[in-house]
Amino acid sequence: MPDQTPYIGRAMKRVEDPRLIKGIGTYVDDLRLPGLLHACILRSPYAHARIQRIDTTAAKAIPGVVGVFTGPEVNDSCGLVPCAAAIPDLKAPKHTVLASDRVYFVGHAVAVAVASDPYIARDAIDAIDVDYDPLPVVVNPEEAVKEGTPLTHPDLGTNVAFTHSVAGGSNIDDAFKRADRVIKHRLYHQRLTPMPIEPRGAVASYHAGEGTLTLWSSTQIPHLLRTLLPGMIGVAENKLRIVAPEVGGGFGAKLNVYAEEALVSHLAMRLNAPVKWIESRRENAASTIHGRDQIGEYEIAVKNDGTILGIKSRTIADLGAYNQLLTPMVPTLTGLVLTGCYRIPAVKIDIVGVYTNKMSTDAYRGAGRPEATYLIERLMDVIAREMGVDRLELRLKHFPAPTEFPFATSCGLTYDSGNYQGALTKAKQLAGWDQLLKERAAARAAGRLFGVGVSTYVEICAMGPSAAMPAGGWEWGCVRMEISGKVTVITGVSPHGQGQETSFAQIAADRLGVPIEDVVVLHGDTNVAHYGRDTYGSRGTAVGGTAIVMCIDKIVAKAKALAAHLLETTADHVEFANGTFSSPGVTNREIPWAELAGAAYIAKSLPAGFEPGLEASSFFEPSNFTFPFGTHICAVDVDRDTGHVAIKKYIAVDDCGPQINPLLVEGQVQGGIAHSIGQVLFEQTVYDENGQLLTGEFMDYAMPRASDIPEYVLGHTVTPSPVNPLGVKGVGEAGTIGSTPAIANAVLDALEPLGITHLDLPMTPERVWQAIKTRTAATV
Amino acid sequence: MSDTSLTRVRHVSDTGLTPTLVKITASSVIPADRARVFAALTDPGILQQAIPGCESLTATGPDTYEATLKIGVAGLKGTYTGKAAILDKKPPESLTLTFEGKGGPGFVRGSAAITLADEGAATRVESVADVQVGGLIAAVGSRLVEAAARKLADDFFRQLSTQLTAT
Repeated sequence: MPDQTPYIGRAMKRVEDPRLIKGIGTYVDDLRLPGLLHACILRSPYAHARIQRIDTTAAKAIPGVVGVFTGPEVNDSCGLVPCAAAIPDLKAPKHTVLASDRVYFVGHAVAVAVASDPYIARDAIDAIDVDYDPLPVVVNPEEAVKEGTPLTHPDLGTNVAFTHSVAGGSNIDDAFKRADRVIKHRLYHQRLTPMPIEPRGAVASYHAGEGTLTLWSSTQIPHLLRTLLPGMIGVAENKLRIVAPEVGGGFGAKLNVYAEEALVSHLAMRLNAPVKWIESRRENAASTIHGRDQIGEYEIAVKNDGTILGIKSRTIADLGAYNQLLTPMVPTLTGLVLTGCYRIPAVKIDIVGVYTNKMSTDAYRGAGRPEATYLIERLMDVIAREMGVDRLELRLKHFPAPTEFPFATSCGLTYDSGNYQGALTKAKQLAGWDQLLKERAAARAAGRLFGVGVSTYVEICAMGPSAAMPAGGWEWGCVRMEISGKVTVITGVSPHGQGQETSFAQIAADRLGVPIEDVVVLHGDTNVAHYGRDTYGSRGTAVGGTAIVMCIDKIVAKAKALAAHLLETTADHVEFANGTFSSPGVTNREIPWAELAGAAYIAKSLPAGFEPGLEASSFFEPSNFTFPFGTHICAVDVDRDTGHVAIKKYIAVDDCGPQINPLLVEGQVQGGIAHSIGQVLFEQTVYDENGQLLTGEFMDYAMPRASDIPEYVLGHTVTPSPVNPLGVKGVGEAGTIGSTPAIANAVLDALEPLGITHLDLPMTPERVWQAIKTRTAATV
Repeated sequence: MSDTSLTRVRHVSDTGLTPTLVKITASSVIPADRARVFAALTDPGILQQAIPGCESLTATGPDTYEATLKIGVAGLKGTYTGKAAILDKKPPESLTLTFEGKGGPGFVRGSAAITLADEGAATRVESVADVQVGGLIAAVGSRLVEAAARKLADDFFRQLSTQLTAT
């Protein structure tokens, strides 16, 4: 094969896209199995109630209905929905698959109807008669921690699931004693609904002869499901096959083991027929995990020149009614990166996790890091304003120098590599920072509300070292040089939009010296990708990609031994370049992959002790997380009369290390910023005082639309990570982490002339307008 | 003829969303004397005719009823089965109606304090109701519940007037 420019670093279009664009990809709902039955779930309209009676007689009588089941009929066969977070002294309610005698949130699954047709199943749940006796509802987590308030789970005796305290760095009390000022601030991270474009869905098929079960699920974590489901449904791991076919987005919402996955598995065995359940959009809003919902109170000890001596934080995290897979862990992640990219000598973090009668919160794009970054970046602006120092200078002053990495933080992490100054400088240049400030001055002089916001962030990716992960943080891969010279790459990560069928093919094609068209990347089927820890925490390329590199290294080493045999020389005299083995000076003969692979499999002439075949698998255990970083700058116009915020300019400089495919990086950053635009300007999941979910569809849950998304200016710096051989860091969540505070800071900068120093998210037109009206009235 | 107004009992901070517990005040003049109006309000036959979408209304005891209603709230058409009871009867002045309905789209429950006053030869009926909705109705239609309740109240009083005028 001739010399070629490397595939790595090229902005290649995704090989996944043609099938998705043409509508010929296979999602869970596209599966058609003979004799397929359809399940529909009846959900509670009450936030907290005792189930007095359930009558399924009328539902069962509907022609086409195969069965109707309630909690007491299935819970013993389905085990408990697992939580993998290891939180000391966690008080946890028993999370059964269907409600047993009480419902704890609106949307809580109460019964399931199975029918020959999805519409009959839907009609059947309307025919189930349930008598509920309403109980007191816990909605406000700050009220819930007080003595004498109603209890979400009366049997736990408290609404407090756990308290978690971390002190790091130097003595916090000393820091506050030495302070010239203590600045206090309260920040709320509103509850959010992840809203993947494809809601959840699962199909289970039981093969009675073999005693095996196949579960197709719209999930991010087929392998974790294969690990955790056996304990629920009593099918051994090696008789269980999990398939994540095309998955239409996850954002953390599908990083979970859900009751429905165990339920359809059980029903398929019980009814001896394949069973499909497809979540409706309304169910998705009520019964798929929500994100964030953390209230933080902060105290910062500062010197007169702006030097930060220490931070104390107290966070109340609304967990909802149950622990899903990582629910109580997410707020503890917030504490891990609370100091952001700054040298802050002392921290004290107190977190209280609280049960309320709502859907569970869990990991949502960024999980903990968006919370922490929003907090520290809002606080940096507050400190700059209060202490009269420039906000960029304040940030620069607290950055560690690039030479100080690996940099140990007060929160207990060691940042792998960084050049925060470089990203900030580049973002300033791309933004035309000084010109933006001139525009702001001119706008203010003309009475317009124009603001410029900045955020510098660092986040945790490549999750992660097994010591820090609930269920192992390694990744597995397998690479097979086929007999034809084609290459099959199998990865244990489970991409669902990240594009690793493309980026892993780029890695393999470069390292093996083959055309990218000859590489196929397989994933998401536990019968093909035997082991894996799946996709979340921006880990795919840094951890999964490294496992592939390790496999390729093994194959090349083995191939060299065979090549040496065929070239009648020794392995140290074999050269491998551009997919060809040669031994210059020994022979003019060159052996391309197809010939070498043929020899390896046909096995007529092998070196002594050489195993036939060319296949290798590897587990990669990272020594640390990676810590990507960057600077985002945003300029907004706020309409004084309507409160509408228009983003005029958006600049993102992200450093995720070397980029395998810049087009994929750009897509991740763009999508991430869109998530933040939603969080800052539009989205909020709202339960009212009765625990009723009011944002159950897109009429009330405002997602950003294409017209709300500005043109981005995207730039990059490249600081490789020492943690993996590719030097890559991860970029799946960075956009969301960096941009929420940049946009919020810009809006508050625009409102500064009116004396508005704080607004909670989301900064909807109504909320902004109310603030403007109040201030304007006060000053008239 | 009728005048239905609504008061939000509690506001969900400043989200612009309608809470699921609302106070609905309705007032209407019915062209009949107080005694006839009071009798009509406690007559299952008349009520079944007057209540919008009422498919059945049967007395299950003194002043307790079971009903089946087919109504659309906020674009969610559904069949609701429910119970109603009349309490604190003071003929021909006042009564309290409690109701509880459930169906595929969720539940509606509440109570209404109803007072009757002479207005010439006719009767002014005033109703102050606390209504709570839950489930899908709340999740997808709470902002439309007020409008739906207003229409149901208007339709009810119009039908009641028609019934009393016709007999």
